[in-house]
Amino acid sequence: MPPIERYITDATLEVFSTMIFIDINPGEPLKGQDDGIDSNLTSMIGLAGDLQGVLAVHCPEKAALGITGAMLGMEVTEIDDDVRDAIGEIANMVAGGLKVALAENDIAIELAIPTTVLGKAVRTSGQAGVSRFIVPFASPVGDFGIELKYVLH
Amino acid sequence: MAKNVLLVDDSSTMRKIVTRSLRQAGLDFGDIFEAGDGLEALEVLEKEAVDIVLSDINMPNMNGIEFLREKSGRDGIKDIPVFMISTETGDDIIGEAKSLGAVGALKKPFTPDKVNEVLGPFM
Repeated sequence: MPPIERYITDATLEVFSTMIFIDINPGEPLKGQDDGIDSNLTSMIGLAGDLQGVLAVHCPEKAALGITGAMLGMEVTEIDDDVRDAIGEIANMVAGGLKVALAENDIAIELAIPTTVLGKAVRTSGQAGVSRFIVPFASPVGDFGIELKYVLH
Repeated sequence: MAKNVLLVDDSSTMRKIVTRSLRQAGLDFGDIFEAGDGLEALEVLEKEAVDIVLSDINMPNMNGIEFLREKSGRDGIKDIPVFMISTETGDDIIGEAKSLGAVGALKKPFTPDKVNEVLGPFM
């Protein structure tokens, strides 16, 4: 089975190429516990089943506004319900892509409903022994990151 | 005659994107109604002249599978065709949706071309 980081990268690239129409470039996954992405808005979705954990999309304000504007085809100037909803939907679609990829390796997961929180110091946390990485992405509207914190049973 | 469409998704962003994709796909549709979950969808179906439903699966209050099950027991709306539009594309859940009357499924993310391919024959 390929590294899970690749599934996150591939799913994110698919979402952005088909529904957001922004060229994004993935960087090397960050695996240190202190590594992070400066973020104003984080959308999280819980994962249950053979792989348990949380997938989180971390966006600085500029990237969140730019991505939402591209999704909706309109200028977005402040973080509002549309922005929270749009980034949550990205979390949902990336998690959906991860679910499909894992299913091909006989790893079954279920998705919760996304939750979006505002704040610069949001960090997910988990029990000892939990694996964690962030895939950073560069885009014309700013950098953002997608984090997976998980336990594979 | 243009079909009236009901979009069922807890994400208002996704409802806007689906509406835009229907236009970009060049499909001929009439009024578009919206609902945020299965419960709201049932209310719309009882009140409005809806020809086709495009529904998410993973929603709060009443999800897409529960919506199909409830709708299938209501005379007057049970025969309105439903397409599932969801990140949930496993054979088990799509199979369950089809057993409850769903006529097809469209995986998120999708392109306007894919929307045309899947929904075009029904519009």
